[in-house]
Amino acid sequence: MSEDARDDAAPGETRESKRTEARGVGGYVVGLALATLLTAASFLLPGSGLVWGPAVPAALVVLAVAQMGVHLVFFLHISTGPDNTNNVIALAFGVLVVLLVVLGSVWIMTHLNHQLMTPGDMARMMR
Amino acid sequence: MLGKLNWGAIPIDQPIPLIAAGAIGLILAGVLAWITRAGHWPYLWREWITSVDHKRIGVMYVLLGLVMLIRGFVDAIMMRTQQAAAIGGAQGYLPPEHYDQLFSAHGTIMIFFGAMPFIIGLMNFVVPLQLGVRDVAFPTLNSVSFWLTAAGALLVNASLVIGEFARTGWLPYAPLSETGYSPGVGVDYYLWAIQISGVGTLMSGVNLVTTILKLRAPGMSYLRMPMFCWTALGSNMLIVAAFPILTATLAMLTLDRYLGFHFFTNEAGGNPMMFMNLIWAWGHPEVYILVLPAFGIFSETFSTFSSKPLFGYRSMVLATLFIVVVSFTVWLHHFFTMGAGGDVNAAFGIATSVIAVGTGVKVFNWLFTMYGGRVRFATPMLWSIAFMLVFVVGGMTGVLLAVPPADFLLHNSMFLVAHFHNVIVGGVVFGAFAGLTYWFPKAFGFRLDERWGQIAFWLSITGFVIVFGAMYVLGLEGMTRRLQHIDNVEWAPGIYVAGGGMVFMLLGVVAQVTQLVVSIRNRDALRDETGDPWDGRSLEWSTASPPPSFNFAVLPDVHGEEAYWTVKERARKEQSLGDAPQYEAVHMPRNSATGFVTAFFATLTGFALVWHIWWLVAVSLVGAYATFVAFAWRDEGEVEIAADTVAAADRARRTARQAWLDRQEGAA
Repeated sequence: MSEDARDDAAPGETRESKRTEARGVGGYVVGLALATLLTAASFLLPGSGLVWGPAVPAALVVLAVAQMGVHLVFFLHISTGPDNTNNVIALAFGVLVVLLVVLGSVWIMTHLNHQLMTPGDMARMMR
Repeated sequence: MLGKLNWGAIPIDQPIPLIAAGAIGLILAGVLAWITRAGHWPYLWREWITSVDHKRIGVMYVLLGLVMLIRGFVDAIMMRTQQAAAIGGAQGYLPPEHYDQLFSAHGTIMIFFGAMPFIIGLMNFVVPLQLGVRDVAFPTLNSVSFWLTAAGALLVNASLVIGEFARTGWLPYAPLSETGYSPGVGVDYYLWAIQISGVGTLMSGVNLVTTILKLRAPGMSYLRMPMFCWTALGSNMLIVAAFPILTATLAMLTLDRYLGFHFFTNEAGGNPMMFMNLIWAWGHPEVYILVLPAFGIFSETFSTFSSKPLFGYRSMVLATLFIVVVSFTVWLHHFFTMGAGGDVNAAFGIATSVIAVGTGVKVFNWLFTMYGGRVRFATPMLWSIAFMLVFVVGGMTGVLLAVPPADFLLHNSMFLVAHFHNVIVGGVVFGAFAGLTYWFPKAFGFRLDERWGQIAFWLSITGFVIVFGAMYVLGLEGMTRRLQHIDNVEWAPGIYVAGGGMVFMLLGVVAQVTQLVVSIRNRDALRDETGDPWDGRSLEWSTASPPPSFNFAVLPDVHGEEAYWTVKERARKEQSLGDAPQYEAVHMPRNSATGFVTAFFATLTGFALVWHIWWLVAVSLVGAYATFVAFAWRDEGEVEIAADTVAAADRARRTARQAWLDRQEGAA
């Protein structure tokens, strides 16, 4: 059988990939610095007046997504290397499930809010 | 000192739970006394309680599942008899508050502590053997998972005598489960039992996903894995993705109940409908967590007992993964009637019908697997064929319920109850029994008695059809679920018929127990010498029965699908087993009491939280944490099994296989 059929198997063997960015202590330090920077930025940004007021939530979302990216690359070692396929697929599956549940719930609850009075409101109305 | 706990917690005024608990206590005391007298404690402690062997843990999981299935079945008998005895003027023998606990306990126990341990146990036992490896990825974690599940089961059963169980149904719908409407400890028992066992289930899911992705025999690529490993992978991916939703939802309800939060209350901006939404976002994937491994078991039995490779292997894999993803897009069908608009209902209704396509693909593949094969009607095959017949009926009533307008008529009716029993009993429980009979010889080295197995099968399937057939009719006649008293006397015939069917199911259970006893007695006659009693096709049959602790003397080298069938074909053709391999010493993980001790503290934590005994909560949490720290600082993690021991074990197996080969030659 050809090599590629066994490519996914790798039972028990830990092949060192030269392509993993962010390896060793150096990688963690860079990651920590970036993460701190992004965290500090999201705290300082709203008060600084650098960003137009109504755009602040969007800016915070951008910083949050960047934060996730930093965590994935530097701490969870997600890369595009061939030995990383499982991790990438797992991540994609996780993101898909979270999106389905969150967006689905928002859709359902919006509909319910639109169609029905919440029980709390109903209790107030009946008072 | 003892929080809310006082003598009033013991239900002295209710004879039924007291007598039941007394009987169980006597049996338990008897068993413990027997173990002590026979001096089995050291053996049990060394070989089972502290074992990190995936096979032993799998067997204990299945045992827990079987015991809890019987407990849940007793609840079912009481529900059927109460309904039959409470029609019109009669009131039956169970007061409403007891009946409500009964149906809640029945559902909780059957799903969380009957079906789940049974299925996880089978996966635990079989998956590493089928992958050709020596253990799961994290053996000690596996033991922790099992003991935490057992701790949850213990808490639920403790509620029988100390306090009460939830009266809210098996999913504690808010606001009924909030403190205002359920001030007792019942819901708290439910919450902590499920949270503790849920942690165990989640860790077991992580463990098995890692095992399947990372630990496979050389050459065992994804598309050479047996179908059961694929469905186990799908099921455990669902566990990892869905159980956190359950944990978070129940944690929110816990905050509501313990700290006065308002996630799901009627007041202060809470929204009970969010509870329904979240609990079913876990609840629907949960049914696929249960049924996917059952589908895998059927794939194995249909192929083995038809002496043919599984038809459409790749389409099976695809259908499994399709179900994994689509199972996250259908949860609203559990609450069509809650009041979302037409387009939401339509979208989820269509998604629900679409998921049946994946199952349909599987049913046709199983049919074509049997087509043209030499079908052997052994007990596992009988369960499998019965599954196919009844599951198609259950699937069709499911698609019917997936149509929102029809669901508005059938919601919460006995038709719904019949439907989900039809698919869960007909799918998961039949699958579990098929798997139990199929892999029993692998686990214990002797087959189960065929005659008693067939008797049990016919009794169970007869009872099953009668009970749930009657329930379908009752549902169409308008009977709703969870009735403690029946006002409409026109439903009486259906209720009596269902009660009569129950008798057959009870006899089926008795026959199953008899089968076990008879088989243990006749174990020498039923002995499986070769390790391959069914002429199997996957790697678990290539090792001895029962397998040595290290599973395989030498890790198999896999060429092609159906790893073991290929090996057997070559042996038959060349009339030789091949040269004896080079044996090397094997390193196995050392036994650990971590799981047992952690679960002991977890049980205490749960119990203390239920009764608000805060000092005990602190003490036992520290105890559990200390156990983990002690484990993390262990010096010796592994034991070495010498090459000679490995060689001796494998030589015995090779002798038996050589005898098999000679018989084949004689027959040819």
